Parts: sequence; structure tokens; C-alpha cells
Amino acid sequence: MVFAENLSRRAVVACAVAGFACLLAPAAASADDLVIYHAVDFAATVVKAFTAKTGIPVKLVEPGGTGELLGKIAAEGDNPQFDLVWVDGSAVMERMLNDKILQPIPNAIIASADYNEVGKKLVPASHSFLPTSVSTTSITVNTKKVPADKMPKSFADLANPAFVGFVGSKDPNLSGPSFQFVAGIFQVMGEEKGKAYLQSVLTNKKISGFASGGGLNKSILTGDAKVSFAQDSSTYAKIANGEPLAIVYPAEGVVALPSGIGLSAKTKNADLAAKFMAFVLSKDGLAAMQDGDDTDYFLAPVIKGIEAKKGRATDINYIFLDPAAAAAKEADWKKWYRDNFVP
Amino acid sequence: MTSIDQDRAAVSTCGPGLLSRVMIGLASGALDGLVNIIIFGVFAILILLPLGLVLIQAFMPALFDPLQPRATIDAASIARTFGAPRLMTAITNSLLLAGCVAVTATSLGAGYAFILHRTNVPFRSLLSTVPWLVFLTPAYLKAMAWTLLMAHDGYFSQIGLVPEALSNIFFGPAGLVFLHTLNLFPLPYFVIGRALAGLGSEFEDAARLAGARLGRVWIRINLPLLAPAFALCVVAVFAEVLSDFGLASTIARQSGFGLLTYSIYVAASAYPVDFALAGCQALILLLMVVTLVLADQLLRRQAAVRLISARSRPARAYSLGPARWVLAAFAFAIAMLALCLPLAAVIARALSRTLSAGLVRDNITLEFVRAAVNPGNPNNQALMRSLAFAGIAATAAATIAVLLALRLERGSRFMRPAVLGISLGAVAIPGIVLGFGYILVWNRIPLLRDLPFPRYGHASLLVMGYTGAALPYCLVIMMSALGQLAPNLTEAARLHGAGWLRRTQRIVLPLVAFSLVTALLSTFIRTMFELPMSELLVPVDGPAAPSVLVQLFGKDDEGMGSALSLMAMIVVAVVSAAIWITARYVAAQSRAVTAPAVSVLASARPEGVTM
Repeated sequence: MVFAENLSRRAVVACAVAGFACLLAPAAASADDLVIYHAVDFAATVVKAFTAKTGIPVKLVEPGGTGELLGKIAAEGDNPQFDLVWVDGSAVMERMLNDKILQPIPNAIIASADYNEVGKKLVPASHSFLPTSVSTTSITVNTKKVPADKMPKSFADLANPAFVGFVGSKDPNLSGPSFQFVAGIFQVMGEEKGKAYLQSVLTNKKISGFASGGGLNKSILTGDAKVSFAQDSSTYAKIANGEPLAIVYPAEGVVALPSGIGLSAKTKNADLAAKFMAFVLSKDGLAAMQDGDDTDYFLAPVIKGIEAKKGRATDINYIFLDPAAAAAKEADWKKWYRDNFVP
Repeated sequence: MTSIDQDRAAVSTCGPGLLSRVMIGLASGALDGLVNIIIFGVFAILILLPLGLVLIQAFMPALFDPLQPRATIDAASIARTFGAPRLMTAITNSLLLAGCVAVTATSLGAGYAFILHRTNVPFRSLLSTVPWLVFLTPAYLKAMAWTLLMAHDGYFSQIGLVPEALSNIFFGPAGLVFLHTLNLFPLPYFVIGRALAGLGSEFEDAARLAGARLGRVWIRINLPLLAPAFALCVVAVFAEVLSDFGLASTIARQSGFGLLTYSIYVAASAYPVDFALAGCQALILLLMVVTLVLADQLLRRQAAVRLISARSRPARAYSLGPARWVLAAFAFAIAMLALCLPLAAVIARALSRTLSAGLVRDNITLEFVRAAVNPGNPNNQALMRSLAFAGIAATAAATIAVLLALRLERGSRFMRPAVLGISLGAVAIPGIVLGFGYILVWNRIPLLRDLPFPRYGHASLLVMGYTGAALPYCLVIMMSALGQLAPNLTEAARLHGAGWLRRTQRIVLPLVAFSLVTALLSTFIRTMFELPMSELLVPVDGPAAPSVLVQLFGKDDEGMGSALSLMAMIVVAVVSAAIWITARYVAAQSRAVTAPAVSVLASARPEGVTM
């Protein structure tokens, strides 16, 4: 009985404490706090440098990978809770602009960026996002599984029987880089030929629908895949870590994958957002974007006079995606990929 | 006459006049109604409303359209969902897998419970900790560990233990059944172990005295009495497998074995979200489990067997001689497969610089472990945050579950199976669906989105989400525990004039205290590793541990992820053990007082009240 009474009293006390703890927990972001949703590795490093320089606090939210982030934004719908969103991929930014989740980046901010040639080509006509860096989807090769003289040189080489059943890829439904890659293939080859090409090389569903770069990397490191369509920055990070991988930029060219910042249509912190975007493309911001070892620290700069992280190539034959055209077909293409290559 | 009516009748016999009696009766009825409204209202807000908002989009896909929200019914999305061949494959695969694992995990859990509760197996204390330890290791971590072990160039392959052919078999339906069984057997172990303890050996002894052989006793008496517990386990494991995302997104996906939960995840992790597809698939999952619960109720039309009575005594353990060592070896083999090997893989990865270089001296590093134990590491702040969130959510969910289960014990015949069906259905719904529901409720619906508490983007809504996700589990545990109590216990007290509150406080709660602590601890552990809510409702002030862990694995930072996971598991184990030991100590202190009182009350069993 003593136990029961104690239990009961304790339950009441515990509930009261729980309720108060929730109420007293730090309040949600106020109108003064800049809230950034992101799926890029270097966001925390850049924000730290930004706050150190300006004294402006920033709330960073990383719900998961690009897929989880976009799902969260979609669920928030016409009541977005972020001021800025920082992700890879251009077509999705275009769609969010069309849905009035985002507003165009002000001309003044884009005009103030001293973009290099690649950077200039990445700026969308709609100003749906501010390009901050670039990477691409190239061919990653496991050098333990593929001898140096058998390395693929082009996308077409992956149809070679030696690679049949061993080509890995990510699911564009969940991966921004993967959608950019698929859309790029369709833009270059044409939709029908592009589909035929992917069907000829992605013959093993077990390794053609990974949700994240982590899973794809594991498949190639454990030998399930010999080659894969992977973001080059991810492979550079693995190579720097001592993994037996190599990067091949196919002769046909590769589609440029911008990382960019989008501005919420409902932001109440437009001034702070502008300050942050200006900082990202400043010398300090760009240095912070390379101050680490993870995948995104190996992205290539899009600002004049900024060197890439040691070891990463920048002289790449880029193809530039038409984000508006890709956005228009996005849902169809993603569904087609899911139906064909995702278990 | 219900117990409420009986209470009122008891009050009426001592009232001074008719008017007073009517007033007291009305006031009591109104209060009772208010309590019901509050308790069921909480259930509705935590589960029904968020779930309903996602499910309804199967029929109204434009309900939350950012440009033109409209509540028009569009059956085309359902036709599109059912028209997709991959969906039918996913449904078939999910049903087959859940059906197989419901049988294998229940059998293994029951066997493990029998060995520990009814035999003189050596190392009983050590072996009894295994299910708890398995339970506190998240499925996604075990899946990752087995991938490290069984992949083509994984650890087993590196030391020549697993040929490629076996690896191929593992990454298929057989491997999924194997892993799910090892992952889920603790659930039936807890439920059937508790039922075995409640059953005692009195019926068995009586039957043996009447000349029945042991096998016949088990077939004709014990197993039928345990049937409700078995049925609950089968349904619960079935629901667990259907809702699983940890293995569905790793081993199943790698096996090319499409499952519904992964399909929902794909539909819900994009811009724009295919709400119609996600809603349709979630509805299918819910219907599968509700159908099973209803079928179970229809097949077992007889009243549930009440196993715990005032006369329950601990069961005798069978003395097995040398055979007990064989059983011990079997139990240790389960421990090895379900716990030791996955943990060893995680430890190996936490100590390795890269995976492909394998377990060689040059590849060993303490870098990740040092980072994981460094208090200044921001990831550890997420761990501390999660400890607080899990503690609050566990307390809230267990409290609400007890109150709701107590009300349901007195509720209508319809209400109990309905709430149980919805709860088990909610168990089968992937957390991502409930998480979406929470965003829709608290960020999109006018008035609700303007409330200061709970607030989207705030820790309060994440804790509420955790509570909502855990409530069905707690409710199933508490309803099962209350369902085991023989009515004579409270009837005797009632006839002695004890009111409902007093009976609950002094008889019911002490007898279900074990289950209450189980519900509390299991919620605490699950919440520490709960993923979808942690990701979707991530507070702007900082993430919880699960989203940090999965991000590390997602970014292929497995070494750090493994080291941090180990740290999280150690912290959870220490906190859980402390709670458990404290609960046992408190129970032991009060048992001396409680037990005689219960037996005195029960021994005053009136005529006509049978066990």
C-alpha cells in the first residue's frame, strides 16, 4: 500500500514536473532568430564563423538527409518555419519557388557575388536560389575490384559486361544529387535514350536505390558494387580517408550540381538572411566551407579567386541543367525511377 | 451493474434524502464523464487526430496543397496506388514477412521465457538480462552491424567465415526473418514470461494429482490458459514487423525486398510529398493490423482468462538434470546472435579507421571513442537532450496509459477492443506518418498552430510526439496487465466499502507495478532511439540523439556513429538499470506491508464471486 500511495504521488509529481519542464524549455525561435534548414555538412562551421564575426545567433535545423528535409518543408506547406534553406540541387528550388514556399533571391545579393564562370552559369534565371558551391555526379570506382586498365572512361563503358549487376546508384526520390544526375542524363541524351541507358546499366535493384551517400559508399567499399554514380565530393572525402576509390569524369561531360540557398517566402528576417548570404560568399564564409573533412567540404568554389580543397579537380566538363525544365518533369521522372530501380 | 453504478448505489444507501442522492449521483456522473472526456481527448489529440490527417489525404490529396488547399474527394489517387504493381508486391512482402516473424519471434520468445521461468537453467540472472539488452539496442544499429558482418567484403568475409553464397542468402527474405526474430523475441519473452509467472503451477499440480501426464497438462491446461498472451504476442510482433523501418530501409532494401514502410518513407521524403500515396499505404497498413485484431477477437469470443489472483503462487521450476546445460547453451547462442555479435561489429567499427582495411593493427584508432566521450562534443549535448526528452515522454506515456487502461477496464465491451485495435494499428503505422500528422496538426491547422504550447519547432512538440508514439505500446502493456487481474481482488475490497480510487491505489496499482515499470522503461529506451519523430519534429534549439546518429551513418561517418551509439547504449543501460533497481528496492520495501493487506481483502471473498 505504501508503494501504491508513493507510486501514485510520484506519478502526480512526475507529471507536474514533466509539464513544467516542457513549458520552461527554451522558447521556439523568435522573430529575431535566423532559422536555417539545411542538408549540407559545412553549415555548422559556416554558422559558427558567421556568429563569431557578426554576433548574430542562428538556429540550424538538419532533419536528416535531403529527402527528410524536403519532406519536412512539404509538410510545413504554406506556413514555413525557416528563413533560409541550404541544399544541393536546382530543380527542387525551382519547384518551391513555383509553390510560393520560396521567394526570389534579391537582385542586389546575386549582383554582389563575384562568381567565376561556372558560378555565373549556375545562377537561375528565376533567382530561385543563390549558388554557393558546385559538385557533380561522376563515376566512382573501387580500385580493388576494377584493375587500372579496365577503368571506365565514359558513361557508355558501364554497359560493359564486366560491370553488369555491379553499378550502384542513389534514389533520386530521396537524393538531390541523384535527381540532378538523372535529369542531366535525360537533358543530354534525351528522355527516351536516357531511360534506355539507365535501364541498361542499373540492372541490380539491390544497389540502384540507396537513400543516402552513406549506403552507396558502403556498397562500393564492401564490394557489392564495383562502380557507382556518386557525388564526386563524397568520393574525394573517402579517398582522403584512405579508402581504395577513384573518380572518373566521363567523356560525355557531367551535370553540374549546385549547392544553394533559398529564401523563405514568409521570412520575417530578410535583413539577417541577406547578411548571412553575403557572409557565405565572403572570403571568411568560403574558407569555413572548406574547413572540415566530410563530403561537402570537398565541393568546388563558384567564386573567383578561391581555390578548391587540395586534391579535388576543378577542371571539369560541366553540363548545366535547365532547372525549370527539370522541375516540370520532376514528379514523373522520380516515379519512373522508383518503379524501375527501387525495391 | 457496472462498478460505477455500484459505487453510486453504495453512496445512495447512506445519503440523507432523495434530492441529495440525486445531486450526488449527477455530480458523480458528470465528474466521471469529464474524466472520460479528458482521458480519451488526450488519446485523440496524441494519436487519432495526427493519424487521421495523414490517412484522410488518401481521399483528399489536395487538403494541404500549398497553393490551393481544397477538401475535394479524389478517388484517382487510390486507383493509382492500387494500380502500381510495386505496391502489391510491397503488400505481399510485408504480409509474408510479418506473418513469418510473428510465428518465429513468438516461438523463440516463448521458448526463452519457458527456459528462464520454468526450468532450473544455470546463469538465469545473466540470461534474463539478455532480452532487455537486445531491446535497448535499436534495430537500425543492429541492421548496420549485421551489414558490416555479412556484406561481401564485411568482417566475416575478411576472416573467411562467410562465403559469398551465404552472404547472398543473408541479404534476402531469410536474413530478414532471422534478424527480425532476433530483434523482436524480447517482446513475447516479456509478455509470455509475465503470463507464465501469473499462471503459477497450481492448475498443473491439480491436474497431475488427478493423474494427467505433463505433456497433457501443458496441451490441455497451460497452453490454453496462455493462449491470450500468445495471441497478443503474435498480433504485436506482426504489427511491429509491419511498422519496422530500421530493417526495411537497410537489409530489406539491399535485398531488393520492397516493404510498405520503405515505400511510405520514399513517398514522404520528397518535395512535394506524395501525401495521397503515403496516406493510402498507411491506411493499408492500419487495415491489415485492425483486421488481425478483430479476427483475433472474433476467434476468441470467450472472456479473457484472468491469471493473477490473490491465490497466485510462483511456479515451480522443472529440475532437468544435465539437459539444463543444453538449454543454457541454446540461450547463450541466442544471446550471441542477438546481442554479442552485433555489438562486437559496432565496437570493431568504432575502433577502425576504415571498413575496407579490416581489423589490422594499422587500421585501429581510438580517435572516434575519444571524441564520443569528450563532454565538449556537440553530439553529446544531443545525447543529454534525449535523456531529458525520453524521461519526460516515458513518464507522460506511462501515466496516460495507466489512466486510460483503468478507464477501459470499466468501459463498454466495444470501447476496449476498439482502443486496443487502434493502439495496435498505431504500432503498425511508421513513425514518419505520425510525425507528418504532428506537423500538419500543429503547424497547419489555424488556432492549434497559434497555441503557445505545444509549439512546432519547440522541444514541447517533440516530447508530445514521443509520448504519442509510445502511448500505444504502453497502453497494450497496461491493458494486458490489467486484463490478467482476477475480478475477485477488487470485488472483495469493494464489498468492504473501498471506493474505486482506493481500490485502484491499494490493490490494482501494486499488482501491475511491474508492468508499469516495464512500460516506463521500454518507453524510455525506445524514445532514446526513436528516429522519425526526432527527425521531423527536430527542435530549432538542437537535435535529439537519434537524428544525429543516423546522420552520421547516412554520411558514412560510421566510425563516429558507432562510437556514439555505444556511448548512448551504455548511458541508457546505466539509467535503465538504476530505475529498475530502485523500483525493485521500493517494491521489496513495501511488499511486506502490501501483501498481507491484499490477501486479507481477497480472503474475504464473498459468495458468488468466482475466480
